[in-house]
Amino acid sequence: MAKRIVTDAVLAAVALVLFVVEAQIPPAVPIPCVKLGLANIVTVWALMRIGAPDALGISLVRIALGSLFTGTLPSFIFSLSGGLLAFVAILLLKKLLRENQIFVAGVLGAIFHNAGQLIAAAIMYGTASVFVWSPVLILSGIVTGLFTGLVAQLLAKKIPKTIGQRKN
Amino acid sequence: MIKTRTWIVIIAAIAVAAAGAILLIRFFGAPGTTAEIVKGGEVLYTIDLDRVSEEYEIEIGSGDGDRNVVTVKPGMICVSSADCPEQICVNTGWASKDRPYPIVCMPHDLVIRIVGAGGEADAEAE
Amino acid sequence: MIKKIAILSAAVFTALALYACAPGEHTSDFFAMDTYMSVKTYGVDAAETVKGEAERLESLFSVTDDVSEIGILNANGRVEASDETIELIERALYISGMTDGALDITVYPAVRAWGFTTGEYAVPSPEKIEELRSLIDCTKVTVDGNTVSVPDGYMVDLGAVAKGYLGDRVRDILKNAGITSAIADLGGSIVTVGGKPDGSPWRVAIRDPNGDGSVGVIEVKDKCVVTSGGYERYFTDENGVKRWHIIDPATAEPADAGLLSATVVGEDGVLCDGLSTALFVMGAEKAEAMWRKEGGFEMILVTKTGDVLVTDGIIDSFSLSEGSPYELKVIG
Repeated sequence: MAKRIVTDAVLAAVALVLFVVEAQIPPAVPIPCVKLGLANIVTVWALMRIGAPDALGISLVRIALGSLFTGTLPSFIFSLSGGLLAFVAILLLKKLLRENQIFVAGVLGAIFHNAGQLIAAAIMYGTASVFVWSPVLILSGIVTGLFTGLVAQLLAKKIPKTIGQRKN
Repeated sequence: MIKTRTWIVIIAAIAVAAAGAILLIRFFGAPGTTAEIVKGGEVLYTIDLDRVSEEYEIEIGSGDGDRNVVTVKPGMICVSSADCPEQICVNTGWASKDRPYPIVCMPHDLVIRIVGAGGEADAEAE
Repeated sequence: MIKKIAILSAAVFTALALYACAPGEHTSDFFAMDTYMSVKTYGVDAAETVKGEAERLESLFSVTDDVSEIGILNANGRVEASDETIELIERALYISGMTDGALDITVYPAVRAWGFTTGEYAVPSPEKIEELRSLIDCTKVTVDGNTVSVPDGYMVDLGAVAKGYLGDRVRDILKNAGITSAIADLGGSIVTVGGKPDGSPWRVAIRDPNGDGSVGVIEVKDKCVVTSGGYERYFTDENGVKRWHIIDPATAEPADAGLLSATVVGEDGVLCDGLSTALFVMGAEKAEAMWRKEGGFEMILVTKTGDVLVTDGIIDSFSLSEGSPYELKVIG
């Protein structure tokens, strides 16, 4: 149990560092919300390798602390709704994926992460006009998701199975 | 189990569909309200006002007596303060989707223009 | 395969950037005549020509340019001017007569003394205002052939009619280029050619002098819409009174005739431009009297008391903004 908490905490810290570092890099494309989402590498990996409760915990801790460090209340709400929707989507898809198909989870996660943010934005501003961006965000989600997903897949291959594995 | 190749094909199909949708929206749909901050004929910032989540400020100018502070809020943009003599840019007020008319600071060669907005009118007499 | 997808996505993003404008629509904007201008045409792109014309007229009319014809006139008291400058001066003098001196192209010394040319605003002393008043009288401007001369200390500024003149020229240029649908914003003075490409009229918003929004929208085809108001270039004096840049030639002080803005709608750009300034100086009552007497234009007046007065020739094309605090009244 103690080992599990330590593992999750370390992973949350890694995700948080990736998140904070990425926030310092100016976006390459001048469209809001188009970013790599490096922190999702950790979430995807944890979800595929450790398990849903741990991944959810890691993700929530990362979002809460990340918003505390770099963001504001709206950015927290965006992060949260995007993170939760992505989590649910990957969870549902997980059973269909093999070890060498983790990149698909990355893509799906990224797309639904963006979708969650759009939904939050639409509710907060009371306008559906933000959905005009959905094709752009789907496309960018595929590109960034492929990247984070492939990294997660590579990590899953390189990191020994014993790490993060639970006995129960 | 689904083959890896199948997954790739699915992802590619979604990508192509999204790209197609982008083109369709470009041609037929109403794009978001975007503000361009142009100084000296050069576009410094392009801001999608529909996707601004919180109020923030941008400082424009080299600090050599040509300072404009631009305030961006969800859906709107204005020059909130400036060190130009006449303050016309500040007096112009907010530009938005419904009021897509340029904010101009002549002495600093600065224009904030709204692109891709419908608005209630095609131009504003002032 | 994945590589291909990435390359494909990148290509799509690039392609999208190229489709920034709808097909057939040409928009361009530029600085000229001390203001910001933008031109939107359909079919043919005439922006460069319009810009060139604005720069050419600026080199004739600019009051801040020492080597423009007006600059030389103000420095030397006389100038051999081009036909166009002569034409514009004579037309301005005509409007001045028509408005009983409410438009005066010799108010420049007063505009300068109040700081509206530099932004260093100051209320001149009563003695100074007295002196300035003696320097405003455009009947002292003499035109003999192509020679213009003014008495010592007098200065001519065509700023109140120059954008209107440019508007007329722009419309001619666009029409000659075969353009049947265009709208130009010449520093807040709007010129339209035809209607929109779909045949509907252009919608021009009238700026709300009290706030950020608009008072209402006027629908026009082939017309100029010019507004003068005190809301853009002004300062607040030590008594808390707003002092704006439109000077009443009779007092050499900012005009205060109960109006917040005056908009003129008509076919003639010079007339619209000159009248919008004059009407603001005259106030609603005199403006109405002149509209009845002279005709040839329509107007929208926003008063300090919260009324929007619209002449009956355009009342059907005008719509008050939703939830507007103003009360619409018809002059007819």
